Amino acid sequence: MSGALFSAGEAASILFGVFFVLLVLRVPVAFALGLACLPLFYLEPRLGTMMLAQETFNAYNSFILLAVPFFLLTANLMSVGGITDRLVALSRAIVGSWPGSLAQINIVLSVFFAGISGSSTADAASQSKIFIDAQTREGYDLSFSIAITAVSAVLAVIIPPSILMIVWGGLISTSIGALYLAGVVPGLLIAGAQMATVHIYAVKRGYPTYPRESFRQLLCSIWISIPALMTPVIIVGGILAGWFTATESACVAVLYSAVLSIVVYREMGTKELYRALVDTGRLASIALFCIGTASAFGWLLAYYRIPQELLANVATWGMGPIGVGFFIALVFLVVGCFLDAIPAIIIVGTVLQPLAKSVSMDPVHFAIVSIVSLAFGLVTPPYGLCLMISCAVAGVPLRFAIKDTIIMLVPMIVVLAALIVWPEIALFLPRLIAPDLLK
Amino acid sequence: MSLPDSTPPGLWRRFTAAYATFLTHLLAFSVAVIVVPVTLQMVSRYTNLIPAYIWTEEMARFLFIWMILIGAMIGVRESSHFEVDVWPTLSRRSEAAVRIAARLGILAMAIVFVVGGIEFTRFAWYRTSELADLPLWMIHIAWPAAGITWIVFLGEQFYDEVRILMGRSIS
Repeated sequence: MSGALFSAGEAASILFGVFFVLLVLRVPVAFALGLACLPLFYLEPRLGTMMLAQETFNAYNSFILLAVPFFLLTANLMSVGGITDRLVALSRAIVGSWPGSLAQINIVLSVFFAGISGSSTADAASQSKIFIDAQTREGYDLSFSIAITAVSAVLAVIIPPSILMIVWGGLISTSIGALYLAGVVPGLLIAGAQMATVHIYAVKRGYPTYPRESFRQLLCSIWISIPALMTPVIIVGGILAGWFTATESACVAVLYSAVLSIVVYREMGTKELYRALVDTGRLASIALFCIGTASAFGWLLAYYRIPQELLANVATWGMGPIGVGFFIALVFLVVGCFLDAIPAIIIVGTVLQPLAKSVSMDPVHFAIVSIVSLAFGLVTPPYGLCLMISCAVAGVPLRFAIKDTIIMLVPMIVVLAALIVWPEIALFLPRLIAPDLLK
Repeated sequence: MSLPDSTPPGLWRRFTAAYATFLTHLLAFSVAVIVVPVTLQMVSRYTNLIPAYIWTEEMARFLFIWMILIGAMIGVRESSHFEVDVWPTLSRRSEAAVRIAARLGILAMAIVFVVGGIEFTRFAWYRTSELADLPLWMIHIAWPAAGITWIVFLGEQFYDEVRILMGRSIS
């Protein structure tokens, strides 16, 4: 950058150096990111400390990010309004007779949940409360219970609707409708990989199995859950039909779940509503506040052209599409260990885009590979938001559940590898339903 | 931020608790209210019940900004901002020492939000928003407000941690 006081290398060492030192001192991530920006904002003649306020303002002043509180609110309304209970009953009727019943129910509920809410943190928060305690009481190991709840929560951002896909679509102009359709099959495959993992754990450790429920019970629970199961159809269908924008679809999810809770299942009173609102506000604003300071951080990285410097050599390695796919996945997996997914998209996604384009990787395939990798980052320490939430609910430190989480990640990474090698896993569904979106 | 000795902790605590409760109500309200403009936007597109207001999108964004900063204020009091825990389980006093260090970081950020935020608010003093013609300082003032609120809440926390560090409240 001509005219800048610091070179890219110096600026990078200041930014990352201050950030990591503050993290070790246990300064909250959002604050560490903001403070790391300060020396440069202050010292660089053309910038000033007010820029921190300005850049966080620019990040929050976004209609796209409104989807975050909406999806969290949807999730909270689901749990206080009785929707989640119906879906638990349905999951039990489907997989309750398999070994490790409750853990299998945990995963299947995450799949249903993912179809309604687009937020993994909301999934982790609400399902940790339901499952961790219940599983340990049935004799499951605590670290296993935490790990399976956290890793199944990542499905929420892979199976549509998804906050990450909305942010991606808004930032790297890709069709959100196409991303939604492309996420379905990879999401279900990952859920399958998790269920296989649970099966092996359950057989090896002798986790309890519920008696099989009758076919009648299955039909009953399907019937009761139909209104809730309609949500993904309304959301994805509404976007594909052009009825509403992605952010509006999140608002529709809120309104629909509110109607279900108040009119159909009738379990929500004003007290429950208030609790849902406060819980939403707390979690949404903490996550979003971090996105603001991360954007300031990302803005400085871009100002000094640091990512370009880092990636300058990569283009000369001569990788093919599969090689680039693995490289992108690796970058996002590593970045996801240290950053929340949305800031990672802001900072890294835009930088990797030319690389993906240079090997003519399909933009939707590029997006799904990145989003799945980032979703895995939600459970990788040190900064794995879903794992942090699950551990916080269980009242144990993060490192307690790391081993089981890593074990569960292995089959999921195999699915990711398959997704990179065979783009059709993601692309065939949008190609089938909405081929014009892939242009 | 140290407290003046003359302030009885009782009154101080009651004030911060009441302030936090007020902010929590405000947070719940702001979450509920951002649904309104987005809903209006959709209703006006498909029905003739209301005209297609141009300000709904902007209003939603501005309420959203306030929601984030109010939540971030409460997050400091409840120590719920996410942090990365690399330390082994510490003794109570070392734990207090680490927490004081971490909160000094938050304090630094709070001061920047106050100083930079005042400049940011003055910068917007005569400007209005593009669509609804709202005075922009009403949004920008959320930054110094957050900074001041953090300092208020941090005062209480430093007081507690220092007491633990000195071994006073260990009974």
